[in-house]
Parts: sequence; C-alpha cells; structure tokens
Amino acid sequence: MSSPAPEPKPAAPAVSPPGASAPPPPNPLPQIALPFQGVDHALKGYHADATVAPDQVVFAAEQMDRAGFAIDTITGVDWIAQQQMEIVYDFFHPVTGLRAVVRTRVPRDNPELPTISGVFPGANWHERETHDFFGIRFAGHPNLTPFLLPEDADYHPLRKDFTS
Amino acid sequence: MIVKENIATDAETGRETFVINIGPQHPATHGVLRVKMTMDGEYIVRAEPVVGYIHRMQEKMGENRTYAQYLPNTSRIDYLSAMTYTHAFVGAVERAARIQVPPRAEYIRVITSELNRISSHLVWWGAFLLDLGGFTPLLYAFDDREKILDLLEGITGSRLTYSYYRIGGLYNDVDDAFLKGTREFVHHMRPRLKMYRDLVTDNIILRKRLENIGPISAELCRKYGATGPVLRGSGVPYDVRRAEPYSVYPEFDFLIPTFPEGDSMARYRVRMEEMAQSLRIIEQALDKLPAGPVMADKVPRVLKLPAGDYCYAVEAARGRFMVRIVSDNKEIPYRVKLRTPCLSNLSLFEEASRGLLLPDALAVMGSLDLVIPDIDR
Amino acid sequence: METQEDQLLKDCAPYVKFAKLDELLNLGRANSLWPLTFGLACCAIEMMAAGASRFDLARFGAEVFRPSPRQADVMIVAGTINKKMAAAVKTLYDQMPEPKWVIAMGNCAISGGPFVFPGQYAVVEGVDKLFPVDVYIPGCPPRPEALIEGLLKLEEKLTGKRRWPVVKPE
Repeated sequence: MSSPAPEPKPAAPAVSPPGASAPPPPNPLPQIALPFQGVDHALKGYHADATVAPDQVVFAAEQMDRAGFAIDTITGVDWIAQQQMEIVYDFFHPVTGLRAVVRTRVPRDNPELPTISGVFPGANWHERETHDFFGIRFAGHPNLTPFLLPEDADYHPLRKDFTS
Repeated sequence: MIVKENIATDAETGRETFVINIGPQHPATHGVLRVKMTMDGEYIVRAEPVVGYIHRMQEKMGENRTYAQYLPNTSRIDYLSAMTYTHAFVGAVERAARIQVPPRAEYIRVITSELNRISSHLVWWGAFLLDLGGFTPLLYAFDDREKILDLLEGITGSRLTYSYYRIGGLYNDVDDAFLKGTREFVHHMRPRLKMYRDLVTDNIILRKRLENIGPISAELCRKYGATGPVLRGSGVPYDVRRAEPYSVYPEFDFLIPTFPEGDSMARYRVRMEEMAQSLRIIEQALDKLPAGPVMADKVPRVLKLPAGDYCYAVEAARGRFMVRIVSDNKEIPYRVKLRTPCLSNLSLFEEASRGLLLPDALAVMGSLDLVIPDIDR
Repeated sequence: METQEDQLLKDCAPYVKFAKLDELLNLGRANSLWPLTFGLACCAIEMMAAGASRFDLARFGAEVFRPSPRQADVMIVAGTINKKMAAAVKTLYDQMPEPKWVIAMGNCAISGGPFVFPGQYAVVEGVDKLFPVDVYIPGCPPRPEALIEGLLKLEEKLTGKRRWPVVKPE
C-alpha cells in the first residue's frame, strides 16, 4: 500500500559549509591504554582515533584484542611530501559496533615496523598486501611474499613515485 | 601424475604427505582462486589459498581519476552486489563533502540494494548447490534472479554493473513499472523461498553434507575479521546496517538472522533467512517511499573533499565492505582503500579447513561465498 | 538415357545428401560446441546466466561446459586477464585439443577494457596478445543474448552459412 508520502523538509542546504561542526565527542574507549581521541562518526566514519609510535603497534593490537575488537583492515598511505609512510590499522567491535583507528608513521626510506600477525592472525594477509603495494616491511612476519602481485614482483605500485 | 617434489614427510606426525594444486582454473573455486593443499591421504594438513590472479588495480585507479569517474569501478569489485559497493563509495564522498541526500533517493537506494542482495544470494545458492552436486537448484535460482535483473535493468539500463547511485543521489528516478514490479516480485518470492526450503534446505542429503562440517567459532571470526553471513553463522548478530547505521536503515523493522552452530549449514541458513528479511525491508520501503527529488541540488560537478580521511561501511551481500578515502583537498583522491569482506572471510580458510576431508573443504569454501575479484581488487 | 544408378540417386535425393567429409564434420562441430568452464570475472556471471533457465544455451548445443580443457572445443575467455594469470590461460589454451576456437567475451578480454590507463601494471591488454581469437563479443559485460550471437557467429565461421535468422534492431 503506497500511502501518500510526506514532502521532504526543505530545510538544510545540500552542501553545508565546512568547519561548522561541533567540538569532538569524548573518548569512547577510556578503558584502553592508548591515546584515543573521540571522533564524530557521522563526519568521519569511525569513533576513535589514536596515533602511536611504530614500535608500539604490537602493544596496541594486544590492547584492542583484549577489549574484544576484531581486525578490520590494514593499509598504508604514502606521504611522499613528508617522506613518510603511514600505516593505518582499522578495528571494529563485533558486539558494540565501535570503530577504532590506530595509526603510525615510519620514515619512507626505511619503512619497517613489527608485525601484529601474532596477535591477530587475520593481519597476515593485510600486511602482505601492504608490503606488496608500499614496500613496507613487517618484521617477524611469517611469510612476507608477494600476495596480489606476481610471485616475482619487486615493485610497489601504490607508492607515489611508482612508474611501470 | 605423481611428482616426487610434491611428496614430503610431515614434521609433526611423521606421516607422508603430498601437495595437490587446485586452481586457478577449477570449477569449485568460482573464479581464479588457487589453493595449495597439503594432503595426508584424503585429509587436509594445510590448505593455503594463493590469490592475485585477478588483481585489477582498483585501488591504484582510485588515485588517477575524479570521484565521479571512479563510480564504474565500484560496480566491478564484487559484481554480484554492485549496488551496495557503489553505495559505500558515494556514501564516503557524501560524508566528506557533507552532502545531504534527499530521502527519496535513500529509500530507493535501500530498495535496490536489497534487491541486489537477494539476487546475489540466489547466485550463491545455485552455484553452491552445483558444487555439492545438485544441478536443478541453479535453474530455479536463475529463473528468480532474472526477474530481479529485469526490474533493475528497467531503471539502470544494466543487468550487472549498475553504477546507479550518484554522488548526492541517483542517476534517475524509478518509474511506476518498477514499483509495481517490485511489489509483485515480493509476493512472488515468498512462496518460492518456502519451496526452496521444502525442496533443498530440508533435504536429508544436503543436511548430511553440511551439518557439523567446517565449524567456525566466533572467536576465529574475530581474529580474522570475518563478517557477514560467516560471522552471523557463528552466532554473532553483527550487521553493519545495525552496528553502524547508514542510509535510512534505522527506519525499518528487520531481524538479523543468526545461527550459533558455526557450521556450513548455519551459514547456509543465514543467507536463506536474509532473503526473507530483505523482502521485508523492500516492502516497508515501498510503503514509506516519500515523494521528492532524487538528487541533491548544487552538488558541484568537480568535487574537492576537505583534507582528511573518511570511511563509510555498508553491509554488502558478503559482509562488511568499507571504503576509506584519504583526501588532500584535490579533485582526485590521494588514496582509496577498499576493505572487502571476501578477503577476510577467505583468510580464515587455512585454519578452518585443517583436518577436513577434501570434498568437505570444498563445501566449506562454497559456504564462505567467495567472489574472487572482491579478494584481489 | 538414364541409367539405373542415376534413377537410384534421384530417388534418394530427398533423404540422402552428399558432402565432403570436412563439411560434415564441421556441421557436427558447429552444433555441439563444448565450452571450457573458465570464469574469470563479471562476464562469467553472464556466461552462467546464458547457460541457465531463461537463455538456455542448450538450444544451440553449447551447454556442455567442460571443466577440463582436454574435453573442450571452445574457450570463452570471460573476464580480465592479468599478468599473474596469463601463463595459466596460455597453458589451458595449449591443453585444448585441435580443432579449437576462442571467443573473447567482454571488453577486458578484447582490450583490457576499463582497467587500462597510462602506467597500468597488471592487466594483459586483450587475450589476442596471448593466442588467436575467433570471435569478439563487446560489452561490459555482454548480455547473454550477445554471447549466444557470438556462438552463432562461430558456427557461421565453421560451416560458412548461418543457420538462424539475424535479429535486426527495430
């Protein structure tokens, strides 16, 4: 039965000006010993954001594991202007639905940090993929061989200075 | 053919093992997945998936075209549920640019996404049973699926790769034929689902083939990030439509089917139940469908997103799909990351298949519902 | 003066046709093309749809999808071929017994399709870079009707004439 539907409110303009947002919400994960900051999910798509040192990622993963989070994905971003590589770890909570992001940066000329595949075995493939795309080495990884690229690939296509 | 190099002695058990290779061209892998299986007789010691045979540079392509130009790619990652994938991408851009999408557009997005979910589950159902040795269900499944494709083709012009959603709304409004046809389809599909249950689900041969085969625990899912029917088949009621509500899903009344057993049958049942729930959502959305425009006005032709990163997750047919866009305030994205459900769902296969019989492992693989370009991107 | 033999030939003419052995074989081949089950990507779904209930490839004798290349006549390349996969595709082609044919289904198999851009690193730009192709079917993905038309084109190539009427757009 298609009831006569109400006209939508003519209120807000289609594109609201940036910078008109409220102050960020409080940290939703105070029980975790990581420098989390609250983020408005409606604006960013995650609830908490933390930046840690590269050698702290295993500790961070253990903390997230203890809090019941699941590994969502791992990815890299090549900040060539700053000569840095950013590694972003996404987590989601299967019960509460909270989304948390942990990020770290390593120097671009020696991108190496420890693996978290010992904590989350699912990180194994994500780290291999990140190694494929960016050449970031995950120390202690059990099998850091090409994943999506051919077996003999020695190039890292998502680096900003990559040419085929 | 026996190749000597493929025979070895297992270090733990001291028994002789051999390696067999399945794929990349094999009918049971649904595409170009390859699995290196170390066997002890008929039993699997280790099954290592090898992927990348259909890597298509989807993430690299995100970095060399504008946001609107990337839309066709989003239909070709998981081509069986193209609508939801486009939804995630336009959702991320709309979130970053703070574009308010008209309600009618969001309702139509929900209707088309749920239709697409049903058609995707029908392909899985037919192909999965084909793997298990039953050919007839495929013919039923494709018969019903063609009805959905007719509806979607009527409004989008495409049978598979729709690119129907636009940044800020939809490509065009739906017509009366679509609304009438969708309602008729809902009435047609309900008795069909019952028939599927009588014909296949309750069949003792199928149940013996799937029950207690390949149990996957909720903890294993969490460690590997598996989502969708795999996680819900392990008893965890995680559904992005409820966990991170998006679009107008909070306005609908639907259940998240879960089965605690964690075996292949549980994953099978979750998907069958989900089709019924999708029909419920479609019916409610048709009832509530508001009038009005389907495109936000004043969406700039060339978008520049404010610097920063933006995520948008949706519940695709196979689980949680998330787009992460990193913008540096230019017309083209700095980085597009696609978090696809099949990659995480397959990554636990090595652990879940240990000790299984080879034919059972293929049943488990089928119950994961893999789309290989979704893994490789 | 007609001999007895001539008369016999005339009597048999409605029932018996004489042809070269090659033509007979080709007629048989053209009406029972066995494709290789070889789905790569999106196009494979349309290939499945072509074989399933509505489109029913069996009407044209091409429904016997074989999982082994040793039993197949025609390879329908349905999807993108990337550099990692190229060697396997070539092996499959080499394993098919002669006579064999290849249908490039969809833009990816024809030219790399939408995945070609300057500086791309993964995709083989068309299956004809690997081995010869008999029929090209454009589309992204092509409709099942297009695949059927492609098979009819192959049939035409084999027998030299068209068995089915051509559908003209209105």
